[in-house]
Amino acid sequence: MQQLDRRHFLQSTSCGFGYLAFSGLADAASTERKPLFPARAKRVIFLCMSGGPAQLDTFDYKPQTGKKPHPGSVYSFSQHGQSGLWISELMPETAKHADKLCVLNGMHADTGIHAQSFLQLHTGDRLRERPSLGSWISYGLGTPNHNLPGFISLNTSRPSVYSSAFLPSIHNGTPIGVNGENMSEATIRNVDPARFSLSEKRKQLDYTQFLNQNHASHRNDPAGLDDAIQSMEMGFRMQTAAPDLLDLSNESPATLERYRVGAQKGPVGTCRMSDFGRQCLLARRFAEAGVRFIEVNHGSWDQHKNHRRDLEANCEVTDAPIAALLEDLEQRGLLDDTLVVWGGEFGRPGLTPDNGKNETGHNANGFTFWMAGGGTKGGHVHGATDPTGARAVEGKVHFRDLHATILHLMGLDAEHLTYSHAGRRHRLTGPEGGKVVKEVFA
Amino acid sequence: MLPLLLSWSVGRGSDIASSDRVFFENRIRPVLAQSCYECHSATAEKLGGKLLLDSREGIRTGGESGTALIPGDPEESLLIHALQWEHDLEMPPEQPLTPAVIADFEEWIRRGAPDPRSGKKSEVAGKSYDEGALWSFQPLVQDPSFSTKDSRFIDLLIERQWEESQLTATPRATARELIHRLHFDLTGLPPRYGEVVEFEKAFSAEPETALTVLVDHLLDSPHFGERWGRHWLDVARFAESNGNDGLSRNAAFPHAWRYRDYVIAAFNEDLPFDRFLLEQVAGDLLPADTPEQRDRQLIATGLFAIGTKPAKAMNNNFDMDIVADQVDMIGSGFLGVSIACARCHDHKFDPITARDYYALAGMFTSSETLYGLAGNEKLTAPPTDLHVLKTAESSLPPADFVETVILKESATGKPKKIPAPKWKPGTPLAMGLRDRKEPADAKLNIKGDAKKLGDPVPRGIPAIYQEKEKPSAFSIPEGKSGRLALAKWMADPEHPQTARVYVNRVWMHLFGRGLVDTPNDFGVYGARPTHPELLDHLALHFIDQGWSTKKLIRSIVLSDAYQRTSRVPDSLLEQDEENLWLTRQNRRRLDAESLRDRMLAASGLLERNPGEGSLIQHRDILVNLAGNLHEPSRHRSIYLCYLRNSPPPELAAFDLPSFLKPVAKREASTRPGQGLYLFNHPFVFTQSEAIAENVLKLESDEEQITRVFREVFLRDPDPEELYRGKELLQSIEDPDRPERAWVAFAQSLLTSNEFRYID
Repeated sequence: MQQLDRRHFLQSTSCGFGYLAFSGLADAASTERKPLFPARAKRVIFLCMSGGPAQLDTFDYKPQTGKKPHPGSVYSFSQHGQSGLWISELMPETAKHADKLCVLNGMHADTGIHAQSFLQLHTGDRLRERPSLGSWISYGLGTPNHNLPGFISLNTSRPSVYSSAFLPSIHNGTPIGVNGENMSEATIRNVDPARFSLSEKRKQLDYTQFLNQNHASHRNDPAGLDDAIQSMEMGFRMQTAAPDLLDLSNESPATLERYRVGAQKGPVGTCRMSDFGRQCLLARRFAEAGVRFIEVNHGSWDQHKNHRRDLEANCEVTDAPIAALLEDLEQRGLLDDTLVVWGGEFGRPGLTPDNGKNETGHNANGFTFWMAGGGTKGGHVHGATDPTGARAVEGKVHFRDLHATILHLMGLDAEHLTYSHAGRRHRLTGPEGGKVVKEVFA
Repeated sequence: MLPLLLSWSVGRGSDIASSDRVFFENRIRPVLAQSCYECHSATAEKLGGKLLLDSREGIRTGGESGTALIPGDPEESLLIHALQWEHDLEMPPEQPLTPAVIADFEEWIRRGAPDPRSGKKSEVAGKSYDEGALWSFQPLVQDPSFSTKDSRFIDLLIERQWEESQLTATPRATARELIHRLHFDLTGLPPRYGEVVEFEKAFSAEPETALTVLVDHLLDSPHFGERWGRHWLDVARFAESNGNDGLSRNAAFPHAWRYRDYVIAAFNEDLPFDRFLLEQVAGDLLPADTPEQRDRQLIATGLFAIGTKPAKAMNNNFDMDIVADQVDMIGSGFLGVSIACARCHDHKFDPITARDYYALAGMFTSSETLYGLAGNEKLTAPPTDLHVLKTAESSLPPADFVETVILKESATGKPKKIPAPKWKPGTPLAMGLRDRKEPADAKLNIKGDAKKLGDPVPRGIPAIYQEKEKPSAFSIPEGKSGRLALAKWMADPEHPQTARVYVNRVWMHLFGRGLVDTPNDFGVYGARPTHPELLDHLALHFIDQGWSTKKLIRSIVLSDAYQRTSRVPDSLLEQDEENLWLTRQNRRRLDAESLRDRMLAASGLLERNPGEGSLIQHRDILVNLAGNLHEPSRHRSIYLCYLRNSPPPELAAFDLPSFLKPVAKREASTRPGQGLYLFNHPFVFTQSEAIAENVLKLESDEEQITRVFREVFLRDPDPEELYRGKELLQSIEDPDRPERAWVAFAQSLLTSNEFRYID
């Protein structure tokens, strides 16, 4: 029935066709849907710290106990905010927002292999291509802004981490900046209006849509044709919406300075150039524009041999932009329904103070994530590792639990957000399922 | 010779109307299997409500809540109440099925709940199967009542089903539609305007002759091999680099293009498919009369070396990861059986055990995979030998070529020393397979872990294919890997799946949908054929005709079914929305390659000669370090550089697969990125400019517009298209740059649905 109406609509609007709002024709696959139960968060900004951030030198304070030196924190920590959250000296700006952070110190994962754990962090599966968290959320909730994709991944790496896999491809992440591309030039592919002005392009598109309308009116089943008509319209709208959002020239110098846009001088050891400030500022702008899931990336925190030098660089590059993002989200009233998540594929064992060593490996048995906003408790710590930070002992949270919790905050139920493919029903949290960590809810 | 005598009869539901069976198999059974069997079948861990839904008897008897259904009366059927979620029972418990699926169940009960399932079970590989579940393992069935020599056998088998449901098919398409369809389906290129006009004339005089002449002309065209070779390259997950190894390294395969050229030539020469299979699986083991033949057969085995693999670094399973890709190629690519899943455990659904997997794997562990230097980065893969070709021309890089992608030592940042390759510069090389000196059975890897080894499993074929009474007729000569025996077994005319799987792929490319909608999976959870008799008779006909792809295609495209118009009346749309009963042709969107090729043809810039070699043929590099390697080209898309994780930008937006595993079918998604590409990509402007340039020198607006229509749509504009076209041209008029308006105009046409879809 709806298809007939649509065809009728196409046939009856031969004049000024392209100027008509296409809102009624919005792609069913991406139409905004109501959450299953009241959502605390409407969107997610995932600050993805690839390589395995050293939790003991940032957010999981492990002072020396007893007489014999043991692995632990090798930087000084102090308490911050009214909550008295312990945060290391390497994160002075983020520390100012201590009362917003909900720190998960009992994270654990299945493997210390980067590629596998990184994939599992994103998709729930270590080996196979599965839909990414952002794709599941886009699938579950649709997107409120039809001028932009529902899932954007900045400074991203291999496609399997932002893939919609077997979910409809409209839920694929849209990459901006892949594999270390210069972020100040990175953009959505082909989004900048080339050759013709937008008003000329509108006239061109009007003629194309007039031809399409003629074409469709001779064919009874609009399957495929309507979708193509709509995707041209959305593509057209993205040309206006996306370049504006990507263009930071209307941001004040003070804002650019707060975010440290373009401030990174060069790579230091494992700490790569990521223009992290630009990414955070873009994330804020996409969040304001209604994008459902935004991932920003910095790496690598895999500082094996020069632990101190590279960790300091990674912290310095990310600390101020994160603080600016939290500040702006709060100031705009967005923090209430924007869930910010910080973490990487695993953590690292601690160094032992004063024993001369400066090398760390991987630790998947205990590490840290933090969340802020989106209905989580501020200034709160959930879970703990043992006195040397070697493994999670309390409030243990697996990636599956993290995923279930994020979905729950978005008003989705990980048990029931499923998709049938290859003979069985799939869900983000896999056959094992995940436990919602309700203790972190405000 | 094929020892396949399973102990149950073919479940073809003889007393059920075939349209009802198709309805059940396509709309009802898959839903029952996916959404209900978990709790309501004989194999359920805990049976829900004492209700069995996995047999005709069970679903009719009902469970502890009462009778599940009353045939003919959906309103009173408990099953429908449960699905509706409006009464006490809510099933499936997690979330309701979609209204369309519930409507299917209502329709099914209204029809009297016709159900071909007998409830008879068969025990295979320790699992219990519904009758008919293992349909693809059954021998091909020839209906004695008619012959595939009858030129109308395809139509007869399709039309049989219509009488019962009183369906009326659409009429034959117009000459215009037919010449478009045939050109794209057979060659992937549009006809020229003049050819359309001539064909229309010939068709109105003598339609059958005109069609036959056209079809034979297209089958003879060298572009046939480019089109159908491309289809096979999808199955072959062909690519010219390994793809991300999990550590962001992506090693080039500089010699993979030889396999591409081999495939194109095979289709142009109409190499019989059984021979094509033999050469790819075991070409290195076949005798060769000439050095050319030897080279060609070695190149064919490249199929098993071009797969993607994870990094070697810290990966104990590296060798077995390569083998898994090879076994998957055998399973998904040739047999339509998901064997690769049994690497870690017995298959959950299909009758394939882990032992079966390692029996096949042993033939590949007994073979060396020659993929080459892997970008000279041992952490991604240790270097291997390559086949040295005897008859191919020596190919040196251009004299001024300098490799700009340099590997660096991670510790010092200095360029790495790369050992000189063992071959003289310019030596023609090919990827592929060869037998190891001492072939051996593979040991079972417990849970797929190459460190936890079980017993060696004798090399052979899966047990389900072996006769129960006597040991397998499959035997491997001493000192051989067994690949040749495997290839011969697969290419045997009595193999139940090889021909079925292949003809189904061919059908899919000519109708947009296979008779089996899951072309890589003919197993328990794959789709069932909508037309099992047709599938079998096509396969028999194909074998009978010497496994000739061209003859098969010829038979199909000369059928009424193929030639029907895709324009569907409302009444038929209601009766058969998905066109399961083949009462019409399907409108299809051009795939990525055809869209690009069509643009080049429209602009006149298309270079019709084959592209030579590859952009990376002299470069053993990590392509992830290279930035954008692609360059504009005027050759057909098949000759572009298919790098995994770095696809040609002109194709990327249009559902180009990732080529990580055999491609079952191309998606036809619509994404805004496609619109953006069509609006803004330089390739589209280049074609638009060429069209604009051609019309600038013409006299009048009308002449010019007509010329653009002829080049792009191969037809003349109607008055409204002319009038509105002039409006567009005037609105973009720029006296200094008269071509601008024409570029805009041409682009409007190139991005329209008429250009992107084929009726």
